[in-house]
Amino acid sequence: MTTAVTVATLEIRDLHAEVEGKEILKGIDLVVHQGETHALMGPNGSGKSTLANVLMGRPGYTVTAGEGRFKGEDVLGLTADERARRGLFLAMQYPVEVPGVSVVNFLRTAYQSVKGGDVSALAFRKHMKEKMSLLGVEDSMVNRYLNQGFSGGEKKRNEILQLAVLEPEIAILDETDSGLDIDSLKQVATGVQQLIGPNLGVLLITHYQRILNYITPDFVHVMMGGRIVKSGGKELAMELEEKGYEGIRSELGLEKGAGEE
Amino acid sequence: MARPATSRLDEEALAALPPVPDFVTALRKGAFEEFLALPIPSQETEEWRYTDLSDLDLSFAPFAPGGAARNLDEVPGEILEAAGVVGDRAGLQIQRNSEVMVTHLDPELAAKGVIFTDLDRAALEHPDLVEPNLHALVPTSRTKFTALHGAFRTGGTFLYVPPAVTVELPLQTLTYLDADGAAVFPHTLIVAGEDAEVTFIDRFASPDLSRALSDAIVEIYAGPASRVRYVSIQEWGDGVVHLGIQRTRVGRDADFRSLAVGFGASLARAEAESVLAEPGGTSEMLGVFFADGTQHFDHRSEQDHRAPSCTSDLLYKGALRDRSRGVYSGWVHVRPGAQKTDAMQTSRTILLSEGAFGRAIPNLEIEANDVRCGHAASVGPVEDETLFYLMSRGIPRAEAERLIVFGFFNEVLDRVRLQEVRESVSAAIEAELARGA
Ligand SMILES: Nc1ncnc2c1ncn2[C@@H]1O[C@H](COP(=O)(O)OP(=O)(O)OP(=O)(O)O)[C@@H](O)[C@H]1O
Ligand SMILES: [Mg+2]
Repeated sequence: MTTAVTVATLEIRDLHAEVEGKEILKGIDLVVHQGETHALMGPNGSGKSTLANVLMGRPGYTVTAGEGRFKGEDVLGLTADERARRGLFLAMQYPVEVPGVSVVNFLRTAYQSVKGGDVSALAFRKHMKEKMSLLGVEDSMVNRYLNQGFSGGEKKRNEILQLAVLEPEIAILDETDSGLDIDSLKQVATGVQQLIGPNLGVLLITHYQRILNYITPDFVHVMMGGRIVKSGGKELAMELEEKGYEGIRSELGLEKGAGEE
Repeated sequence: MARPATSRLDEEALAALPPVPDFVTALRKGAFEEFLALPIPSQETEEWRYTDLSDLDLSFAPFAPGGAARNLDEVPGEILEAAGVVGDRAGLQIQRNSEVMVTHLDPELAAKGVIFTDLDRAALEHPDLVEPNLHALVPTSRTKFTALHGAFRTGGTFLYVPPAVTVELPLQTLTYLDADGAAVFPHTLIVAGEDAEVTFIDRFASPDLSRALSDAIVEIYAGPASRVRYVSIQEWGDGVVHLGIQRTRVGRDADFRSLAVGFGASLARAEAESVLAEPGGTSEMLGVFFADGTQHFDHRSEQDHRAPSCTSDLLYKGALRDRSRGVYSGWVHVRPGAQKTDAMQTSRTILLSEGAFGRAIPNLEIEANDVRCGHAASVGPVEDETLFYLMSRGIPRAEAERLIVFGFFNEVLDRVRLQEVRESVSAAIEAELARGA
């Protein structure tokens, strides 16, 4: 007897998007399967966060061409919550502070929304506790108001806790390693590493090779001027580290994009 | 449902009210004259600019029976349910329509001299405490509606805490209204002696009615160095017009804290005033409001600093949905000689729908030079960033908004120290937010 294993896939085809009438994404093609880890690197302003936001459905972005399919369905017309309930996740570059709402209250509401139906408070607690100990998150954090007064490191760890609790199939991590000191980076990176496995596909947006010391990507993509200009295996990250974006530009004969650093 | 006997606010109706001591009869008579003489407040005046009562039909029944109960077991279930989460209470009084049904007070407190009873009964049994205080803070002549109140009030709550007595648990009155077409006149009179401590919860609830009037007055005397907490939870049903005035005299070194929760009524105008009458007093006024449908809220506050070295702080938070309207106007007065005043006033309003209208009008009037005063006001929609953040975790929009509003109110609740109060108010907030779901 054979079992057909269906793997969730995020397929981005020729995606164009604008912000305030300005085209930022100029034709992105990228396929991420559940179980794979992709690193997306690129200079400031190249459009990485824009891609992440468009995929998650943040208001203010207009898709002008192309498609984004998740598990075969075009998700670009769906609201953010609908996408999340289908199994997409975005760890934000700048998590928002939500005063008066505790992390645990928020997580339970989110968990119930994603899993559907009534989840008992007890069952949820148990699930959350498991994830907390997996990631080494202390109790005090979940009783605080969501991101309020959190340090940069705490905010990012909180994003990873949400990822762990909500168990999406594909997660986009937007600079989850930025602004962290060595210890926090290690904590966050090993946390992500724990979650990576056959059930999770990751699109890891980063500027630095250093997070890749903990997380080994299956693929590395370089984004410049709203396009993916080069893709390769994990060795591409090393190459970038050596040559810099300037090196890639001259290799490919590219101009610096508008607003790009 | 109880049926009112008459629907006229006239002399005949006045004469038909249950008998009261002479000083109250005299007060009724004087107030009735004032009621006839005073006009319905005009929108031309600053105080009534945002609320139009010119079309208010005054054909309400001034007395609607409520019946009596010997104990809480005899009180109908729906009324007890409306009393909300009643955890441990030092006392509970239930008024239905125009009559107090039942009052319970912890006998140990009664033995210490605490009085908690029906205001009419208190007028009879404790005229020395009632006569000098009743309508001394809110005179019947203030408006046509305070005059109406003075003329037709029956029932009400009287609470007296003798000097140096601490009441640990809250006392609560529920005023329940289920007589369509009636006018009720809830009146709470609280007198706290020197160094006394007490927490009182005033709860107002009714089913939806076709029309009714709640013309309410709260007068609080916080004696020297007393600690008085006053919580009101207004959950009238649709159809009720609520006009309420709460005024507190904060004595020397007294610590007064109030929390007003306003969810109900078709039209609610609520005025809360703290007079810092003697040096060293503190007043904290918190407010939480949620309106939906076509509800109209007109909230006004006054922090009146008449003595030096007093502190006052006000924080009102409201959320408006659908086509509701909410106007907040606040005054900070610092009278000449009220040096070393520290006064702050903050109002925040969230608009949850395009059709909702919110406005905040802060006012400072400062006549002393050595003071610290400030105000902050904002009216605006929920931030898109916050909404997107919650939605990106799978939470549907309406639920995300509820969570944001819950958190927004929670910041006010965090300032309430008494667990029993926090629980009651938190449950009321959750029920209100779930109602529109
Ligand atoms: N909401 C917005 N409003 C206006 N411009 C925007 C908005 N979002 C993105 N942009 C513009 O789009 C371009 C790409 O920005 P984006 O944030 O996607 O870059 P990024 O690759 O994530 O950069 P970084 O590495 O600095 O995070 C920039 O020029 C930026 O100014
Ligand atoms: Mg970015």
